[in-house]
Amino acid sequence: MPALVEISGMHFRYGKAGGRVPAAWTLRDLSLDISADSTLGIVGESGSGKSTLVRVACGLLRHQEGRVAFDGREIDDWLKSSPKDLRRRNQIVFQSPRRSLDPRMSIRRALAQPVRALERRVPTDAEMVEWLARVGLGGEILPRFPHQLSGGQLQRIGIARALSVGPDVLYADEPVSALDVSVQAQVLNLLMDVRSQLGLTLVMVSHDLGVVSRLCEEVIVLQHGVIVEAGRTSEVLADPQNPYTASLVTAARAVSLT
Amino acid sequence: MLDPAHTIAANVSAALPVGMVDEELPVGPPKRRRSAVRFPIPLVLGGMLVSIFVLVALLSFFWTPYDPKAINVPDRLLPPGSDGYIFGTDKLGRDVVTQLMLGARSSLYVSVLSTTVALTVGALFGLFVAGCGPRWQGPLTRVADVGLAIPGILVALVLATKLGPGSTTAILAIITWFIPVAARVTIGPAKQILALDYVEAAFAYGRTRRFVLMNHVLPNIAPLLIVLASVMFAAAILIEASLAFLGVGVQPPTASWGRFLNEAQPLLEAAPSLMYFPGVAIVLTVLGFNLLGDGLRTVLDPQQARTGMM
Amino acid sequence: MLEVRDLRVRIGRHQIVHVDSIDVPAGGRLGLVGESGSGKTMTAMSIVGLLPDEAEVSGSIMFEGRELLGRSDVELTRVRGAEIGVVFQDPSRALNPMMRIGRQVAEAIRLQMDLSRTDVRRRVVSLLEQVQLPDPASLLRRYPHQLSGGQQQRVLIAIAIACDPKLLIADEPTTALDVTVQEEILRLLVTLSEERSMGLLFVSHDLGVVRFVCDHIAVMYGGGLVEVGPTSKVVELSRHRYTDALLAANPGIPAADEIEAYVGRRLTVIRGSVPALGNFPSGCRFRNRCEFAVESCIESPPVRTVDDDHRFRCWNPAVRSVDASVG
Repeated sequence: MPALVEISGMHFRYGKAGGRVPAAWTLRDLSLDISADSTLGIVGESGSGKSTLVRVACGLLRHQEGRVAFDGREIDDWLKSSPKDLRRRNQIVFQSPRRSLDPRMSIRRALAQPVRALERRVPTDAEMVEWLARVGLGGEILPRFPHQLSGGQLQRIGIARALSVGPDVLYADEPVSALDVSVQAQVLNLLMDVRSQLGLTLVMVSHDLGVVSRLCEEVIVLQHGVIVEAGRTSEVLADPQNPYTASLVTAARAVSLT
Repeated sequence: MLDPAHTIAANVSAALPVGMVDEELPVGPPKRRRSAVRFPIPLVLGGMLVSIFVLVALLSFFWTPYDPKAINVPDRLLPPGSDGYIFGTDKLGRDVVTQLMLGARSSLYVSVLSTTVALTVGALFGLFVAGCGPRWQGPLTRVADVGLAIPGILVALVLATKLGPGSTTAILAIITWFIPVAARVTIGPAKQILALDYVEAAFAYGRTRRFVLMNHVLPNIAPLLIVLASVMFAAAILIEASLAFLGVGVQPPTASWGRFLNEAQPLLEAAPSLMYFPGVAIVLTVLGFNLLGDGLRTVLDPQQARTGMM
Repeated sequence: MLEVRDLRVRIGRHQIVHVDSIDVPAGGRLGLVGESGSGKTMTAMSIVGLLPDEAEVSGSIMFEGRELLGRSDVELTRVRGAEIGVVFQDPSRALNPMMRIGRQVAEAIRLQMDLSRTDVRRRVVSLLEQVQLPDPASLLRRYPHQLSGGQQQRVLIAIAIACDPKLLIADEPTTALDVTVQEEILRLLVTLSEERSMGLLFVSHDLGVVRFVCDHIAVMYGGGLVEVGPTSKVVELSRHRYTDALLAANPGIPAADEIEAYVGRRLTVIRGSVPALGNFPSGCRFRNRCEFAVESCIESPPVRTVDDDHRFRCWNPAVRSVDASVG
């Protein structure tokens, strides 16, 4: 069965304003397959390009070389003929709950945005209450504004918003790094639940190996824009082959409680 | 003479929108700050002064103590407090109060028109530049910077020689002066907002750049633009008066505080009060707008702070 | 060396900190652990007088036998530089971007000590060596933005220890750093503490990090201490339900052979979230989120001690097989 997302030989770099010397590649010669219904962790330190990889994989950033395909078709093809479908089937949850929502929009309005943009209709309150219930929140927060809610609640809303259009793939970029420990566990459990309930493909970026080890069956390790190791999480973390991976695991274990 | 660009930039920089506040670890639900809004003196005072100015200017269309065109040479240069002339008369015997009211009309007309146009065009251009790709953003920002660097008074004088003096020239000069200011002030914060997650999220669910700029960026920099507007009004009034003072602004018989001031100069010994009245009028009006801008920024700022991190 | 007693910090209507007692012996390393709103940063900052103006502080902070509370700003500045060093979270914001590294460290020295130019320079180089920065001489002329995050933090540490303080307060010093760099910095702090017999007050939300660095841990919730004791006891034999819950909720990496078993398994959760200031329940502040709350929890629990060195405030603590006298 072909993978849902197929990336091969992909190169990406950010464009410089009129500079004659091109910037260095942020992502180099990347090849990766993401199968449907899987959970993938993308691990790396700052500057590794892990957030960039997510943007390229879902078509928010255009790669310069190589191939990125979603459901058998090139991203370019999607963007030309049916961009809305591509967007609908790929959604993102971001790191900072407070920055994920427009502070001037009520929750009701914010939650309705994806459906309004992609399905050209206004979702009913009943629908939105259902979306909120799915993430463990009540409908009473619909008229409220982001500043009145906690980080954990906002992150759940971000997840509800992403799920509102029924995506196939959910990309989560450091979804719990900005949350208190006690709330982290709640949101991680939530991600696990919705993934199994909705049959989602979950791709999670995290610098925290502990979080990745709990949620992701597969993992890739990025260093300076290159995949240095990939495989089943249990194997990679238990017996890392690459020295960089090994140093990450050692450092993470040093401060791990378990 | 004051440089409006810097004043404006300094004044509005504090009114940055939400989302800019850097967050570390979350604090749980934001604590509602006890309404410790110190009595907003600048806002109230500014609001009062501005209201008086606007009302007087509007009133002048319907009523003035004396006929605006009436020249009464025998009654010239009467001191304030004279019978029937509270503030006295000018060199042509015209009532000072009437002249002040008419001058307010010019100031209002010129400043409202020029500020509105400059702000709209400048802000839209600024938004456009902020949303540009890396290739064009640099050069276009430089264009705005260049516009900022050109001394406005020079532009006004050049325009005056080309088009002749008058209110239109004054308006055009102020517009040309202010558009780069509005653009430059908009570009920075707009770019910062475009880097925020909720903008990225909007792109992720298919919104166009135009939609994002108008529906996500613009509302969030609106407080900043409001503050900018009030500061621009103040500057515009001052510029209009200056241009009139120099003789390139509003021409007779249309009244202007600036020209009033100019004409009162040679009469300093004969009737010193003639300098005070237009001067005070200009000062109070400009002060009013500046206070208003200051007050608005204070009022809008803590509101923003409340919506961000505590 | 550091004894904090009955420390209370009020801001406006709210008492945000009430710490009954904290001790850091010379050369000891105490970790102050808590989530947002726990008051851990406020507690640390009150020791060096770095609280906001509106804060009202009462109690006693004895440092080397001297009372710090109530001292003037001038006196505290002296103490801050010479005897207590402070390292903050984000190095990119704590360093002056317009000043060269060498000069920033030199200024820290010159503020407290009267040394000749050459002596200062020598001391700066020596300090940069001690924080394990490579080629210190060349670093003197560099600017902060030319250094990596880890290097910047090392410079901050150098500045903090410039005048051989007896106590170093570190507030989330590695939170903004990558995990490999974090390990190095943590090891550095431990080394410095041991070599100089310098006390360390380490504030963090991360129990794992604190366990790595500190020999004693104080857990805070809602502005007060809930459990204090030697690291091994607090982590392995925790009594207070919040400590327990915090340990369980932490998604650490399981042992190599257990990873497969844990993937996809739900995590233990603490119900609800940290309440806003002023919304904490009466009595035990944690009782509205505690699985084991009992009736007595409506009253504030008294301090109980185990083995003389491990204390906590809980009506219904976890039972441990090594249970001993509760006093």
